[in-house]
Amino acid sequence: MYAAPDQFPAGLEACECLTPFGDAAATAGALRSGRRALELTPVLGRDGGDPVPLALLGPMDETLPPRWLPAVHRLAAQIPAGSWGSAREPVVVTSSNFGVGSMYAFTRDRDARHLAHGTPFATVELLRRELRWGEHVTVFSHACVTAHLGLAHAARLLQAGVADRVLVFSFDFVSPFVAGGFHSLKILNGGMPAPYAKGETGSIGLGDGAAFAVLRRDAGPFRLAAHALHNEMFHFTGNQPEGAGFAACLASIAGAVGGRRIWIKGHGTGTLEAGRLEAEGYARQFPGAPLVSWKGSLGHTLGSCGLVELAVALAALRGGEIPGTVGGAAPSFSAEVALAPFAAAGFDGVLLTANAFGGAHAAMVLTYE
Amino acid sequence: MTTARFIHHVRVELPPPPEAAAEARARLADKFPRTALRRMTHLGLLLGSALDGVALTPDDAVVYASSYAETRALEDFLASFPAASPLLFQTSIHPGGVQQVLIGRQQPVTRLWPLAGRSRLVEQAVLTALLEPAPRVVLLGGEERGTWLLEQGYASDRAFAFAAVLTREAAGAAGRVSFSPQAGAPDENCPALAALAAALAARTPLAWCGAGGDWSITWS
Repeated sequence: MYAAPDQFPAGLEACECLTPFGDAAATAGALRSGRRALELTPVLGRDGGDPVPLALLGPMDETLPPRWLPAVHRLAAQIPAGSWGSAREPVVVTSSNFGVGSMYAFTRDRDARHLAHGTPFATVELLRRELRWGEHVTVFSHACVTAHLGLAHAARLLQAGVADRVLVFSFDFVSPFVAGGFHSLKILNGGMPAPYAKGETGSIGLGDGAAFAVLRRDAGPFRLAAHALHNEMFHFTGNQPEGAGFAACLASIAGAVGGRRIWIKGHGTGTLEAGRLEAEGYARQFPGAPLVSWKGSLGHTLGSCGLVELAVALAALRGGEIPGTVGGAAPSFSAEVALAPFAAAGFDGVLLTANAFGGAHAAMVLTYE
Repeated sequence: MTTARFIHHVRVELPPPPEAAAEARARLADKFPRTALRRMTHLGLLLGSALDGVALTPDDAVVYASSYAETRALEDFLASFPAASPLLFQTSIHPGGVQQVLIGRQQPVTRLWPLAGRSRLVEQAVLTALLEPAPRVVLLGGEERGTWLLEQGYASDRAFAFAAVLTREAAGAAGRVSFSPQAGAPDENCPALAALAAALAARTPLAWCGAGGDWSITWS
């Protein structure tokens, strides 16, 4: 028996993102062209270190004010008007990094001004002031499934009738703190990521990304119809070797997919073992459904990846063509991995997934008319 | 319509302020596997102790609230630069505190909701628990005392942790947590996480207004 998924069709009033390519439409276009935003960059920024693949909106060294703030303003300008942060129109902020790079900057420069946006709550307080949100801002942080949690929670708020609209806002910007951490785990190295490819070695890239979605109860043409989560708690950075955690999450969401003809936007960071378990899990549960990952171009936007990639998926659907797995290569871990773009016509749903440290798995179903 | 859950297990860890991770490790050694013990943070140890005696199942959901999240582990990780420590990186990532405990137990759970806010964190964590369809929800919370970040005012000045098991079963319950919507009700100050821990420890009631309704924690 698997846990039943949350099934409440929350309408997407708006959804947009910011990546090194620009907004969601520009990002989808770049991905369709097979462009990579990742570039080899010293892992500790101006402090040097090994070159690793990073997709940045600018130099990653911390600045005052923080380098992510102008980008966040640029994105926030596109949020529909609302009483954001009020009881009936709450905000859900999702991030795994917040302003943590500022902590590294403090330890290096001893300038206490960096700390004013270092911790999660201090970062969100800065966001609240800058974006003029009220006090009802819920903050989730669960590594790389964070944005999925925020979207699922937003749907629950709407379903329970305790909110009329919910703004989910996510941002993660790379810093030496984060790049150094992943480099220490030896999964961020000098190779460009090749999601789902049967290679000799695996590697991820990291990317800057921010995104938002406005969810409301009354359905629009695009709906987040269902969410499933599972936490295997097998190992901090590894999954159960037979892929039981992936299977549990996919089995949970399968009932919500029903007879829809779906394509899958997977997690696909570029690591070998997780990529294999993931691709094999999809092929078993949803045989024939095309599978793509975009992290070979955008890098892994960590806690924000679920929302950034949702915005890109929506833009791709509007454009009529779905980008393939940029950076992928044959042979892949399953026949379903789509390396080239394909037509959106003929599908009526998308499964979007993310996985995280601790064996956390998340999946959601996007439906559209 | 009022939404409520009943409180069936409460355990709070409120160590004296000078206690450090090494002392907690010695004090709580019999509660954890030796291999896991040496890698656990102070917050992980306290959360594990608060969960002592609670047998979780894969159908349970966990809500984990912490304003400062894994800030203390983050201090140690930064001290390891430029040769960044992979172990310290792992434990510095929220929700590392609760993952240390559940991975140590090899205990899967269906949903884990790690929150990291401040001013209305308690209200948001309780709402997250009340919205959970899982039959049993474990509400966890805690902080650990910072070092250099505390000197700068960006870390907790005390360490504590709590666990409360919430179900829909009234029989045998120690208390009740509820939310009653009241249209247009103004926000009052929401209790801080430490105040919730203190109320759980002393079984004292809490009540406040916020997020468009009335909140209460009462005891049998």
